Amino acid sequence: MLSELVKNELKRIVGTANAAFAREELLCYSYDATNTLYPPDAVVFVKSAEEVSLILKMANSEGFPVIPRGAGSGFSGGSLPVEGGVVISTERMNGIIEIDTENLTAVVEPGVVLWEFQQEVEKKGLFYPPDPSSLRFSTLGGNIAECAGGPRAVKYGVTKDYVLGLEVVLPTGEIINTGVRTAKGVVGYDLTKLMVGSEGTLGVVTKATLKLVPLPEATRTLLAVFPDLKDAATAVSGIIKAKVIPSTLELIDGVSLKCVEEYAKAGLPEAEAVLLIEVDGSREGVVKDSEVVERICMEYGAQSVKSATGKDEVRDLWKARRAISASLFRVKPNKINEDVVVPRASIPELIGGVREIADRLNLTIACFGHAGDGNIHVNVMYDKTNPCEAKAAEDAVTEVFKLTVELKGTISGEHGVGVSKARYLSLELKPEAIEAMKRIKAAFDPNGILNPGKIFPKKAAEEGAYMVGAEAASGVPATGL
Amino acid sequence: MNTLELLKEEIEKCVRCGTCRSVCPTLKAIGRETACARGRITLVEHRLKGSLELSGNYLRHIKECTLCGACKSNCPNGVDTVRIFAGARAEAVEKEGVPYAASVVFKNLLESNRLPWALKLANRLQGVLFRDAVASSGLLSRFPLPLIGSGRLLPPIAKTPFLELPNVKALSGHGRPGGALGKAVRVAFYAGCGVNYLMPEIGTASLDVLKRAGVEVVVPVGQVCCGMPAYAMGDRATARAMALKNLDIFESCNFDFVTTACATCGHGLKSLFKDMLGDDPELKSRVEAFSKKVRDISELLVNELGFKGKGRGPGHETKVTYHDPCHLGRAQGVREEPRALIASCPGVSLEEMKNPCSCCGLGGGLSLVNYELSMEIAKRKAENIRSSGADVVVTACPGCMVHLRDGLHRFGVNAKVAHVVELL
Repeated sequence: MLSELVKNELKRIVGTANAAFAREELLCYSYDATNTLYPPDAVVFVKSAEEVSLILKMANSEGFPVIPRGAGSGFSGGSLPVEGGVVISTERMNGIIEIDTENLTAVVEPGVVLWEFQQEVEKKGLFYPPDPSSLRFSTLGGNIAECAGGPRAVKYGVTKDYVLGLEVVLPTGEIINTGVRTAKGVVGYDLTKLMVGSEGTLGVVTKATLKLVPLPEATRTLLAVFPDLKDAATAVSGIIKAKVIPSTLELIDGVSLKCVEEYAKAGLPEAEAVLLIEVDGSREGVVKDSEVVERICMEYGAQSVKSATGKDEVRDLWKARRAISASLFRVKPNKINEDVVVPRASIPELIGGVREIADRLNLTIACFGHAGDGNIHVNVMYDKTNPCEAKAAEDAVTEVFKLTVELKGTISGEHGVGVSKARYLSLELKPEAIEAMKRIKAAFDPNGILNPGKIFPKKAAEEGAYMVGAEAASGVPATGL
Repeated sequence: MNTLELLKEEIEKCVRCGTCRSVCPTLKAIGRETACARGRITLVEHRLKGSLELSGNYLRHIKECTLCGACKSNCPNGVDTVRIFAGARAEAVEKEGVPYAASVVFKNLLESNRLPWALKLANRLQGVLFRDAVASSGLLSRFPLPLIGSGRLLPPIAKTPFLELPNVKALSGHGRPGGALGKAVRVAFYAGCGVNYLMPEIGTASLDVLKRAGVEVVVPVGQVCCGMPAYAMGDRATARAMALKNLDIFESCNFDFVTTACATCGHGLKSLFKDMLGDDPELKSRVEAFSKKVRDISELLVNELGFKGKGRGPGHETKVTYHDPCHLGRAQGVREEPRALIASCPGVSLEEMKNPCSCCGLGGGLSLVNYELSMEIAKRKAENIRSSGADVVVTACPGCMVHLRDGLHRFGVNAKVAHVVELL
């Protein structure tokens, strides 16, 4: 609970109209795409770094949590006010400050919606590649905090590869600038990279300088249909081995296909798997590359490879692809949505392993995602009102994570740890590494007021649930979950 | 089961992914989570759980929605948001009653197919209360009026409503045997309040086009408001009474199709009568039989009567852009037909605007609840119309026409507003 003093001070800082305390407002800022609700004590709609700074300084002296929030579309609970406090909404900080066509950079405020930014950039013949499925509504601030990825990562990388510099308000209230506006820069520690993907725990981004690239001249979209999921997965490395790097290389399994087609009616086939592939570049290059892709897919057992004709068809295919995650609820009312990554060549093993886990535990697990970069969205579907199924789902997630780490992968490619993966942190990281991270957090945020309860598991007991060393030695968790 | 419990399953389908944020016109204007489907559903859900009062704040968020359905048609989980918000309003009305001004209007629209006294009075008073707007065929309110405010461009109220015109009354068509399909096609025309009281010229143009399309037209006597305004405001009892009355009246005469020149009425007759009339099995089969004969006038002309290419056009070279009414494009899936009619008119070039299917801002009673917000939404529309460079923005809904004229006037855009049938 906030004192009247704090409430009045918040109103003074952002203006009465931009501070909300009513229950109706608080409820609407209590959730994100994880569909869990933690109402905050206040929501403030900030307009400047100075306002953020004043709020953070007060948070330190008065001792309340502050949680930065963009569109609330994250998949790991990064913007959830799990301990209450003040939500800082960046919705009003939504200006594109400049697009520099000579130096190929842009300066933006954090509340700009990714899609709107991309539209503006593309009008100038430039390109900002990161494309999480939430691209039409997620904000650049949220993208930076979570280091959002997307299908194009296979060729173009992820958000961190496009952030040159930041204006950040530190948890203690100082406003700093990190990074550069140039292609190179090695002065001091790379605080920019540290901030990107820090899930709003180390600072509040109030401005970002982003790198742009030239918009490719041509793009071609292909849909390869496979009667066998493993063949599709194997074809992924086949394509890269043939020295073609598609701009996207997406795998969609049969379960996902069925669900999303019900929604999108994009003409997706009923099949065990499809690869949705896009190649971009010069006009001639695109023709050549798509021929190679088509040939390789057929060699690896595709039953057909079709090139999408026309803008509408391409748009429908992508709309369908981006709707998979949410449309899966047509199978079961609840799901655990994980975004594991393994080295590309290990995808068939991962997929095979997930299938085995699903069959053994009698669950529906949908697999789809950015196979081109090894990032597979594993969606465990269940009904939480059925305790057996809920338990099986949890077990399945643990097994998938263990398999991922065994295959030298990582348990989150682009969603972040947040709340939902905190207790699995030690599956991947050694205690010493977690300790180093905690020391960084403490150095930036000595009072622990910025986005508390994220990344690091709260209780020592939870933290001890998995020990990397014990994993390696015996293959079983040191203690039960 | 109470009104909110009936929505439980629908509410639980929302997984809070946030996709609705990308399409909601009120979110774009207000910029807060309380103004998108995900937020509003959260509020209704807490209302259902009993953990939220029927507060002024709650009511504002529930009412500040145009019911345009953009969230519904883009929702990956197919959540019927419009049903949820209309239901939430109905629950509020059950507890709080219908606002007095609205209840007077609804009562008159239900009880009488003649010009209600209020409108008669308004017709006499409009010279006092409004001044003629220079650039357009509308009236500007001189003083702040209840429900309306000042400086607002409103259409003049018809001297004689469409349904009272002698040539229309002559088409009442009762008792005559119907021409079944294969012989002469018989079409029953449903006017709706917009055409009847505000824009009889659209009704007249519709009859003219239908006549040229070679069909027999009847205009059933006694038809009343379709019930959509009452439904949108949560007044279920009135909406039901209106739907029932219209059903009785149309069933009493023979026809192959029912057609209307109003997108909202069309959506109501086609799809929402069944919601308004509830679960009674006998009514259900009557509604089904009626609703499947309903066609928007563009749909009827193009798909059933082969009228494409027979339009007269405006008589000179004209650049036209088309605004998709939410209740026609999204709700009825009728997008191509009006465009086909427009593009095939001599002298007309069709220039698409950006986001032709985004809401004009009028819908769902928003222009009464929060006029400034509805104008903020209209502003985006007006800018898109301006950038299209069109001389005329054509649409298919009298409601949209009223709001577009108001918006274009306010934001200084010089395009005229017309109905598809007026081009034909």
